[in-house]
Amino acid sequence: MSNDILNDLAYRKPITLRVYFKNIYDAIRTTLKGMSITIKYVYGVKPVTLEYPEVREELPANSRSRLFNDVENCISCMQCSAACPVDCIYISAVRREKEAPALKTKNGQAIRLDLTQYTIDTALCCYCGLCTTVCPTECLTHTQDYEFSQYTLDNMKYDYLDPQVRTWRNRLIKN
Amino acid sequence: MEYINSKVSGANAVVSKGDAGDSSIIISPQHLKEVCRQLKDGEHEFQVLQVITGTDFLAENLIEVSYILASFTKNSELILKLRLPRGDENNLPKVDSVVEIWKAADFQERECYDMIGVEFLGHPDLQRILCPYDWQGFPLRKDYVTPEKYLDMVINPISKMNIEDREFGAKHAHIKGASTSVDNYKVDPPATVSETETV
Amino acid sequence: MHSLNEEKLKTELLTVNMGPQHPATHGVLRVEIKTDGEIVAQAIPHLGYLHRCMEKHSENLDYRGVIPFCDRMDYLASMSMELGYVLAVEKMLGTEVPRRAQYIRTLVCELQRIASHLMFFGTYAIDLGAFSPFLYAFQDREIILRIFEELSGVRLLYNYIWIGGVWNDINDDQLKRIKEFCITMSESLKKYHSLVGENKIFIERTRSIGVITKDLAFEYGATGPLLRGAGVKWDLRKDRTYSIYNEFDFDIPVGSGEKGTLGDCWDRYYVRMQEMHESIKIIQQCLDGIEEGAIIGKVPKNIKLPKGEIYQRTECPRGELGYHLISDGNKKPYRLKVKSSCFTHVSMLPDIAPGLMIADLVASIGSVDIVLGEVDR
Repeated sequence: MSNDILNDLAYRKPITLRVYFKNIYDAIRTTLKGMSITIKYVYGVKPVTLEYPEVREELPANSRSRLFNDVENCISCMQCSAACPVDCIYISAVRREKEAPALKTKNGQAIRLDLTQYTIDTALCCYCGLCTTVCPTECLTHTQDYEFSQYTLDNMKYDYLDPQVRTWRNRLIKN
Repeated sequence: MEYINSKVSGANAVVSKGDAGDSSIIISPQHLKEVCRQLKDGEHEFQVLQVITGTDFLAENLIEVSYILASFTKNSELILKLRLPRGDENNLPKVDSVVEIWKAADFQERECYDMIGVEFLGHPDLQRILCPYDWQGFPLRKDYVTPEKYLDMVINPISKMNIEDREFGAKHAHIKGASTSVDNYKVDPPATVSETETV
Repeated sequence: MHSLNEEKLKTELLTVNMGPQHPATHGVLRVEIKTDGEIVAQAIPHLGYLHRCMEKHSENLDYRGVIPFCDRMDYLASMSMELGYVLAVEKMLGTEVPRRAQYIRTLVCELQRIASHLMFFGTYAIDLGAFSPFLYAFQDREIILRIFEELSGVRLLYNYIWIGGVWNDINDDQLKRIKEFCITMSESLKKYHSLVGENKIFIERTRSIGVITKDLAFEYGATGPLLRGAGVKWDLRKDRTYSIYNEFDFDIPVGSGEKGTLGDCWDRYYVRMQEMHESIKIIQQCLDGIEEGAIIGKVPKNIKLPKGEIYQRTECPRGELGYHLISDGNKKPYRLKVKSSCFTHVSMLPDIAPGLMIADLVASIGSVDIVLGEVDR
């Protein structure tokens, strides 16, 4: 069986002496031509490596990295949760009483619902950006933060109502 | 997107068109091979079988198998459809295989068998292609329920399903005026409810 | 006496697994090879290691939410994947896309084609043992990815082409950089071709290997560079134009059997290199003709398609992509079937493998240029 397969191989053609030496000449010529291109890269090209973590690249302003929600401006419309393709946003809200003081967002919309739960599971999130486009008050935005890995999966669930989030929020809002 | 009258084969051919999009031709399943042979060798020269799609219509108890053919020499396209009764696990719908006519049908029919559960008679090696070889069930059917376990691995483990976050809304649904975005969890309200309960 | 020795010797085929984890199979592809020594007698591909049930998921999502899932099929050419689906939905809705959006879409898709072919160039050279072209290709690809990052926000899975247009606008600074990129890229492509394509060792490793003839390609439904490498002049951008490709002037490169048999690996490599030149031509015409205007058309907030079905084909870097979309009048697609070119190309492996040595099998699989995300969806 192996003899049949060997006979079928396309490159088992007989080689004359002239072709043999021409092959050697071609091989040396083309290899030297290739080397002349690569030699230029030794001293002729500036290195493009960024020495991370000492040098960090500046990401563009509309970069889709870590999500941030400014809950003081959220009107609990739940559009972001409906738009999410992987269902990673969990929201619950309670209607405010009529006697409570009226609150407004920064665009001037009245807040009628009190947010009781706003959790995003960033491990499930696919960073598609669909939730940020449907937010009417633009409180849900993408930031440029990309270094947020954690040791456990539970730490990847961001509860945006947590008071400890305020330090992060204050840092972002100052920028 | 042109349609032909398959009077060449004598099978029952009916043109169907939805409200928008392409029209297609529905033929009877018994004459499938004859029609395909005529389409390939006849004047229309549909040399290429592009895709075999299976769709499950649960409401009408049908499975629709679409063959999309194309001709690269005459620059045309055609959608052929078959309507088969749905059957169940032990009684899969059966169709003739067109592997002798187009070799592309090999993998496409295997995928149709894997996902929808249509058996192709005469296929040289009909087994699952995308799912593991010993998977039970046909995923793209509308009444498919994901099994609990595969071999000894748990599918959808509880620890990763974010149960607490999903149940939060349902647990506090008894508060007046509450709403939540997660709408498929039903939890009993707590035993004592106080009027001024806040969260 | 020689035949007496052979009678006593028992030989049989050895089954080897070119397993799911392999540096040269471009993803998680398992090829079960039955070899006789070094020569392959039979090769059977096993798929399904990257199956993510995209078609089942899309039945639970609304039409806009399917676009991130389409990206993740062929992750090296995401824009082309999105374009096919969006064109199918727009045809059924009957929306009109503004001119500027169409120019941006063409620009972005051709840039994506160059990026994808550069990736092929780099990884094909590395499959055959040459390490430098990989980094050169990635240096050029970095410029494209940086432009995409400024347009859409991410580098690989964009979600940029939306139903009705595109998401963000492109400004003059980026257009200027694309223009400079085109000029430097034409020079670099000639350099790369003389570094790799004209090299005698590369030619000897790829000529007459993995021959796909025209009849075999039609039997299996192979499209894209495989079909063009076999000598058939068929390109969906010219023969069944979609979007605004009929306004541009470009050529379709075909293989000609220059260095070996017609339809071998060298032909397919050469077709892809020439396609990059043609893409640069299209981009330059696009930059000259881009018009001002809106970037997204009028689309209702809740998209509901009328009842019916549609099959939309587009030309992706790896072949023809088809979206068969069946809708029943609701907000979610009833059935979305994706015809991926790489799926049909993998089915050709049992036909081209017998008779090759294992190193040639690596070269053949590399020249078919599969991405497992598209094969398994």
